[in-house]
Amino acid sequence: MLAALAPAKADRYELAVGPRRTRTVTYLDTVDWRLHAKGIVLSHERASGPGTLTVDGRGEENSTRLTESPQWPARVEQLPEGEVRDGVAAAMWVRAVAPVVRARVVSREVAVLDDERKTVVRLDWVELTGTEPSATRPLVRVTLRPVLGYGGAAKRVRKALEACGDFAEIEDGGAYATLLEAEGIAPEESAPPAISADMPADVAVATALHGFAGVIAVNVDGVLDDIDTEFLHDLRVAVRRTRSLLKLAGDVLPPELVRRYGSGFKWLGDATTPTRDLDVYLLEFDTLAAGLVAGEPGDLAPFGELLASEREKARRALARTLRSQRFTRLIEGWQAGLADVLERDWSEQDGRLTAEALAAERVRGMVAKVIKRAKAITPDSPAEDVHRLRKRCKELRYLLEVVKPVCDATAHRAVIKDLKKVQDVLGAFQDGEVQSHSLRDYAERLQSSGRPPAATLLAMGELSASFVTMQRQARHDLTGALRKFLGPATHERIEDLLP
Amino acid sequence: MKVVASYNVKGGVGKTTAAVNLAYLAAARGHRTVLWDLDPQGAATFLFRVKPRVKGGSTKLVGGARPVEAALKGTDFEGLDLLPADFTYRNMDLDLARSHSSGKRAGRALSGLLDELAGDYDLAFLDTPPSLSLVSENVLHAADLVLVPIIPTVLAARTFDQLADFVGTFEGDRPDVHGFFSMTDRRKALHRELIATLPGEREGVSSTSIPALAVIEQMAVRRAPLPAYAPSGPATRAYEQLWTDVEQILDL
Repeated sequence: MLAALAPAKADRYELAVGPRRTRTVTYLDTVDWRLHAKGIVLSHERASGPGTLTVDGRGEENSTRLTESPQWPARVEQLPEGEVRDGVAAAMWVRAVAPVVRARVVSREVAVLDDERKTVVRLDWVELTGTEPSATRPLVRVTLRPVLGYGGAAKRVRKALEACGDFAEIEDGGAYATLLEAEGIAPEESAPPAISADMPADVAVATALHGFAGVIAVNVDGVLDDIDTEFLHDLRVAVRRTRSLLKLAGDVLPPELVRRYGSGFKWLGDATTPTRDLDVYLLEFDTLAAGLVAGEPGDLAPFGELLASEREKARRALARTLRSQRFTRLIEGWQAGLADVLERDWSEQDGRLTAEALAAERVRGMVAKVIKRAKAITPDSPAEDVHRLRKRCKELRYLLEVVKPVCDATAHRAVIKDLKKVQDVLGAFQDGEVQSHSLRDYAERLQSSGRPPAATLLAMGELSASFVTMQRQARHDLTGALRKFLGPATHERIEDLLP
Repeated sequence: MKVVASYNVKGGVGKTTAAVNLAYLAAARGHRTVLWDLDPQGAATFLFRVKPRVKGGSTKLVGGARPVEAALKGTDFEGLDLLPADFTYRNMDLDLARSHSSGKRAGRALSGLLDELAGDYDLAFLDTPPSLSLVSENVLHAADLVLVPIIPTVLAARTFDQLADFVGTFEGDRPDVHGFFSMTDRRKALHRELIATLPGEREGVSSTSIPALAVIEQMAVRRAPLPAYAPSGPATRAYEQLWTDVEQILDL
C-alpha cells in the first residue's frame, strides 16, 4: 500500500500509516429502489457487536449505534427509533429495506507529514471487496482530506497522485456506487419489454402479458415471506392487468391458450383479495383512529387486533394458494404459451392486424363503453352502477398503459390525467361504500367473539358514519367530475392520442 | 463561544502546557475548539508542530486587513484548530493601540477578532505572553474565564491577588478568575502547606494541582499534548481535574 501511495510524498513529504481497520458494510434499499431514487444511502456497518446504522441523505449523515443485531428485510417500524429512521421513513413508505450489496472494508488512514512531522494532508485508503451477492476483486479508493490552513499541500499531493494515474478516482464519492457497478447491479426498476407500433397484434398482446406474468412471478417470494404489503399489491395489479387485457384483446391470441389459462387469473385474483383488503385497512388504521372526534384512538384497539388476526388467517390461506401446484402450473404454463407466441416468426403475420391498429380499435371501443356508462350515472344511481363504471375505467386505464408506446406521448399524458381524476372520485365512493358495509360485518364478528368494550363499538360507529359522509361527498363530486370527463375536450384528446 | 485565557504575569509557570492540554481535552470531548497562541515565543505553536507564521503578521490581523479565519491551521487532533504565533506579535501592543486611534477601543480589540470565530467554535483558549500590557488587558476583557497557574509560593499568591483586584476594577462583564496550583512538588513543605490552606483563604483558588513531572516536560520533546501520548498517567489526570473545574465554571 505504501508503495502505491508513494507519489503522495510529492518529493517533500513523509507518510505515516495508521492502524488497519476491518469491518463489513451492508447497503440496503427497497426492492423498487426508493432510497436510491431520493438520493439516500442506508448502510449497516459492523466491526464487532450489532454495529451502526447510517443514513446519508444528500450529504447530511446520521448514525445510530444498534443495541441488537438487525434482521433484514425490515420495514420502517422495525428500524430503531431516531434520526436514521426519520431520515428514511418518507422514502421507504410502506416498503421494507433489504441488503443490496455487502462488502468487506479494510481501511487505513495515512498522514502526509511536512518537515516538522506535522500532518498537512490526510489520505483515507479504503479497500472494498464485495462479498454478496457475488465476490468482487478488491476495489481501492483513496480519498484526500485537506487540513485547515494547508491548502497548498493538499493541491500538491492531489496533483502528484493524479499524475501517477494509479487512482482513477480520488475525489469524495460513494463506495456504494462503486460496489453496485462492480456487482453489475443497475439501481432502477426493470421495465417490462414495450410493444411497438408495427408489431403484429398477437405478439404485442403476448409481450404485455408476458411482462405482467413476470411481475406476478417476481413478487411471489415477497408475499410468501410477508416482507411488506406492496409485494402483494404489485402481484395483484399484474393479475388485474392480465385479466383486463385478456378481456379486451385476448381474442388475438391462440384461443386454446386463453381457454386453458384465462380463468386461472380470476381464481388467483380472488385468492389475493381478502389479504389485500385487510392490508389496506391496517395501513390506514392509525390515520382512521387519529381522525376520531368523539372516541379516543385507543378505543379501536380491539378492532385493530381483530383485523390483524384476520389478516394473518387470510395470508396463510393465500400462501397455500401460492405454493399450490395449480398456481405453479398456471404461471409456468402461461409464460411458456406466451413465449411460443413471441417466438413465432413475424413474417408469418404479414397482412394481419398490427399493434397500432389494434390499439386504435380497442381503445375507441373501450372509451365508447366508459362514456356510455358514465352518461347513465346520475346523483341517484345505485352503487352497483358506479362500481361497474369504476371497473370499466380501470380496464381503460390498463389498456391505455399497454398501448402507451404506440400513442402520442403528450395526448396520452393528458388522457391518463383526466382518467385519474375520475378514478379518484370513483375510488372514494367505492371505499366509503365497501368500508361502511365491512365495518358492520366486523362489528358483528367482534360481538360474537366475546364482549367487545362499548367504546370500541361506538368508535366503529363513528368510523362508519365518516365513511358514509365520504361516500356522500364522492357522490356529490362524481357527477361534476364525469361531466368534465365526458366533455368535448376529452374526446378530442382521445382522438389525438390514437394513431 | 466561550473564551478561556491561560494567564500569569510571570513566565515559566505552566500557562502554555495548561492551555494546550485543556484545548486538547475540550476537543476530545466534542467541543469545537481553537487555541490562539498570542505569545511571540510560539511555544504552543511549536508543540503542535505548526510553523510560527501568520501572513501579514500582527499588524494586518489586528488592523482587520486579513481575516482571522485565513490564519487558522488544523492541528493533528480532531476538532482542534490553532491560530499560530508570529514573531510580529511582539509588537501587538502597538497594533492594538493603533486600532484605538482608528476608532476601536484599544482594550477590546481582541474581543472583536474573536467574534469572527464565534460561529465556528464552542471554545477558544488564549495562551498569553507573560506581561502586563495592552495585550494582557485585551485578553482579560475578551475572556469568560481566566485560568491562573500558581506555583505554591507566597509571592505567587500575591500576584494572584493583584490580578483579581485588577479584574475587579472592570466595568461591565468581568471574567471568572480561577487559580490552580502548577508545578507542585509534594516533597516541599511550603508547597504542601499552601495547597492545603490557600484555597480556603482565597476565593477563586481551587485545590487542583498540576505536579512538576518529567512527563509534562516531555511535551516539548514529543511535540504533542500530554494526554495524546500519556493518556492515563497522574499528570493527565491532574489536567482532567482542571478541565472538570473549567466545565463547572463555564457550565459546559
